[in-house]
Amino acid sequence: MLPSSPLRQLAPTMARRVRNPKTVARLASIPQYSAPVTTTSSPSATTQRWHSNHTSSPSGPSSSSSSSSSSSSVNPDEISHFNALAATWWDPHGSSRALHLMNPLRHDFIQNCRSSSPYSSFTVLTEDASDLLPPSSDAAHNTTHNTANVQKLRYLDIGCGGGIFAESAARLPTTSSVLAIDPSPGVLAIARSHAKKDPGLSPKLTYLSSTIESLPTLKPEAVTQKFDVVSCFEVIEHVDHPSLFLDHVAQFVKPGGWLVMSTIARTWTSWFTTNFMAEDVLGIVPKGTHDWHKYINEYELRGYFEETEEKRRFWGRPRAMGVVYVPGLGWKEVPGSEKVGNYFLGVQRLAGEDNA
Amino acid sequence: MEAVARRKAAAYVCRSCTRQFQRQLRRNYSNSAPRPDIYDVVCVGGGPAGLSLLTALRANPVTSHLRVALVEAQDLSKVKSWKLPPNKYSNRCSSLTPTSALFLDQIGAWEHLDQTRVQPYHEMQVWDGVTDARIEFDWAPGSAPVEGTTIAYMNENLNLTSGLLKRLEQLGGVSVFEGANVENITFGEEMEDLDLSQWPVVHISGGKQLTARLLVGADGANSPVRAFAGIDAKGWDYNRHGVVATLEMEGEGWGGEHTKIAYQRFLPTGPVAMLPMPGNVATLVWSTTPENASLLKSLSPKDFVAMVNAAFRLSTVDLAFMHTQGTDQDDEYSWRLQHTSFNPRAIPQTVVGVQEGTVASFPLKMRHADTYIGERVALVGDAAHTIHPLAGQGLNQGQGDVQSLVKTIEFAVTHGQDIGSIMSLESYVSERYTANHVLLGVVDKLHKLYSAGSGPLVPLRSLGLNAVNALGPLKSFFMKQAAGSGTKIF
Ligand SMILES: Cc1cc2nc3c(=O)[nH]c(=O)nc-3n(C[C@H](O)[C@H](O)[C@H](O)COP(=O)(O)OP(=O)(O)OC[C@H]3O[C@@H](n4cnc5c(N)ncnc54)[C@H](O)[C@@H]3O)c2cc1C
Repeated sequence: MLPSSPLRQLAPTMARRVRNPKTVARLASIPQYSAPVTTTSSPSATTQRWHSNHTSSPSGPSSSSSSSSSSSSVNPDEISHFNALAATWWDPHGSSRALHLMNPLRHDFIQNCRSSSPYSSFTVLTEDASDLLPPSSDAAHNTTHNTANVQKLRYLDIGCGGGIFAESAARLPTTSSVLAIDPSPGVLAIARSHAKKDPGLSPKLTYLSSTIESLPTLKPEAVTQKFDVVSCFEVIEHVDHPSLFLDHVAQFVKPGGWLVMSTIARTWTSWFTTNFMAEDVLGIVPKGTHDWHKYINEYELRGYFEETEEKRRFWGRPRAMGVVYVPGLGWKEVPGSEKVGNYFLGVQRLAGEDNA
Repeated sequence: MEAVARRKAAAYVCRSCTRQFQRQLRRNYSNSAPRPDIYDVVCVGGGPAGLSLLTALRANPVTSHLRVALVEAQDLSKVKSWKLPPNKYSNRCSSLTPTSALFLDQIGAWEHLDQTRVQPYHEMQVWDGVTDARIEFDWAPGSAPVEGTTIAYMNENLNLTSGLLKRLEQLGGVSVFEGANVENITFGEEMEDLDLSQWPVVHISGGKQLTARLLVGADGANSPVRAFAGIDAKGWDYNRHGVVATLEMEGEGWGGEHTKIAYQRFLPTGPVAMLPMPGNVATLVWSTTPENASLLKSLSPKDFVAMVNAAFRLSTVDLAFMHTQGTDQDDEYSWRLQHTSFNPRAIPQTVVGVQEGTVASFPLKMRHADTYIGERVALVGDAAHTIHPLAGQGLNQGQGDVQSLVKTIEFAVTHGQDIGSIMSLESYVSERYTANHVLLGVVDKLHKLYSAGSGPLVPLRSLGLNAVNALGPLKSFFMKQAAGSGTKIF
């Protein structure tokens, strides 16, 4: 079971296991994460590279609502893997238990990010007034909100999976709406049927089968209205072109709003804990969940937001929080652990114009 | 965790049959179903545990937006307007630890208790009826916990529930269904846009149905909610009854108004306890055999008083003999007392009367539910555990449960968790289960240890109490446990 891959990984070229021949053409994108290359890759060049890939893709851009097309940043193998996982997504003792346990920390981190800045998406932009009203007083709805005068947040959850984060975000009294997207139709079906079990969710939560690339076509208002919080949790490590992906995500973040991510660093520790211990030994996550080669180190992800003057004008200083899974206790924040294992990274959008 | 898994397996059977049954119903009457009346929390049981839970949820700004309902079989307006003359006390009293009192204060209920009827006590005298080994639980200088020298507060259960109801009325926002029996609990329906097939539906007398995101069983030892959730409660009956009565004493107690003392003597049939109430009043909890209990209840007030005085003074052999007499215990006691030597200041003052109609008895049992949670179900108070009253902890355990469950719900609300999901309820069980289990075990073993009239355990236990008495730090540890202020092992 011991990998030949981590050894290969030691090579600076960061060779990646090719899971799908169609992805070969896109392997070039990864060096943008390694510090030496960052100076040469301007944000506009990145965008261009993404576009050229996009148009040269054999299947072309997808306009259907279930767009699991190979043109997206998402690897089709990943999609089928997550479809297979769908059945146990909501079982508290099933394969997604670790994610369920991590979910409260995501909210703590977002809270932490939002309170770290004197600016918010509300101070920068005036909010659509209708979003500030409490949701309709359906008998099914669980609250008589007393937060009506507080400005409520719009969330976009990218790669929502079975909806663990999306549901929880929609349940918060401070949330006006959640748009949750995922390209895997299987997990979205699970997400939708699970959301049906909670009458409080339907007024606030919308699921859409979409990649981030096809979202502007499917829902143009997502680009014009933007979101106070854009989340992609445990997503970047499953994406083929992290930097292109992030370029694309930027347009959905309201000025003053936050992009929050969580992922896992590519280290011996993370290989040992996620690939070997979690998948092979403990079986707490299903086999094949993680492709360790796609893991992104904290300095690489941070580097993306700081690599050029333009990016630094567009994004605030990234904030990171390292978390460690302690069996029997769940996830705990451990300062410094972002360098070796799971971590959150949050970054506030500063600029008003969409062209980083 | 194992218990959770076991319960899940057990519940699966009932749930799937219920669901099947409902599917049939749906096929037949699918159009006639009214829109369900959905609550975030439906609490069955308006005893001390249920009322504290609702008060705490309403008083907490994080949880006060939840839609909550209370279902209680009794007429709560009678409880709320409960009033007795200053010299009369209810026979159902409980000792509230400073921890419980602090919690009740935090939720704004403590001030609604009639404070003239609450009696703090400051010392405990505990001794073994067979060996006379004794432990005096008074605070050594410097060992008293910061909040004062109060070990606990004696209080009538009705003063607590009435105070809680007044506070709840002040807070408002609870749909109260009183005088309403839970007749059945089923699961909701699966509709096209809404799947309530895992949501409990409480059917109450009068035909009303309440659908619950979280169904809380605060419905006492025979909890219908626990039965619905398929959670087993294991334990045993002690074959003992607790005889309670409100007693009139010759004075305010040896320590006067400001140093009240609780007394407990371990007899081979079980412990007898006398706990101070305001003025010249004390409350009795005497655990004894069912036969002795029915004898005690049949006696004239004069003979009953003699038996209680005898229970704290005479030898266990003399006392056993007096239980064989059908009547005239008063004469027997006067005669035997002359032949018994004791230090009167080490035992309660003499009982001079018993308040009419207050002699009653309850069967004692030990029960512990296999778990406190299920999907959309949580148990608190006696529904989760029933304890021997010798430690006076039953009601306090329930307050501890409520405090923990409210904290769990608060965390779920601030983190967007579904407050009814197992995932968000897990921390409640993990926080409370072991704590309650340890206490149930300790109290159970104390009962068994002291129920032996002779045999190898007897010298051992006198060593036990004397040793505890000699070891100052250990004693202060036990006292802090009794006061709920020590390291939280209980
Ligand atoms: C003799 C004796 C002495 C005790 N002494 C002490 C002591 O000194 N200190 C102490 O801390 N504890 C003591 N206890 C224990 C204490 O009284 C209980 O622990 C406490 O009352 C439990 O509170 P609860 O709210 O959990 O349940 P309960 O008080 O039993 O309340 C349950 C409520 O649920 C309602 N209910 C039940 N079924 C239904 C239904 N189907 N529909 C609608 N409503 C329903 C009932 O009407 C009741 O009001 C003693 C107990 C006994 C028997």
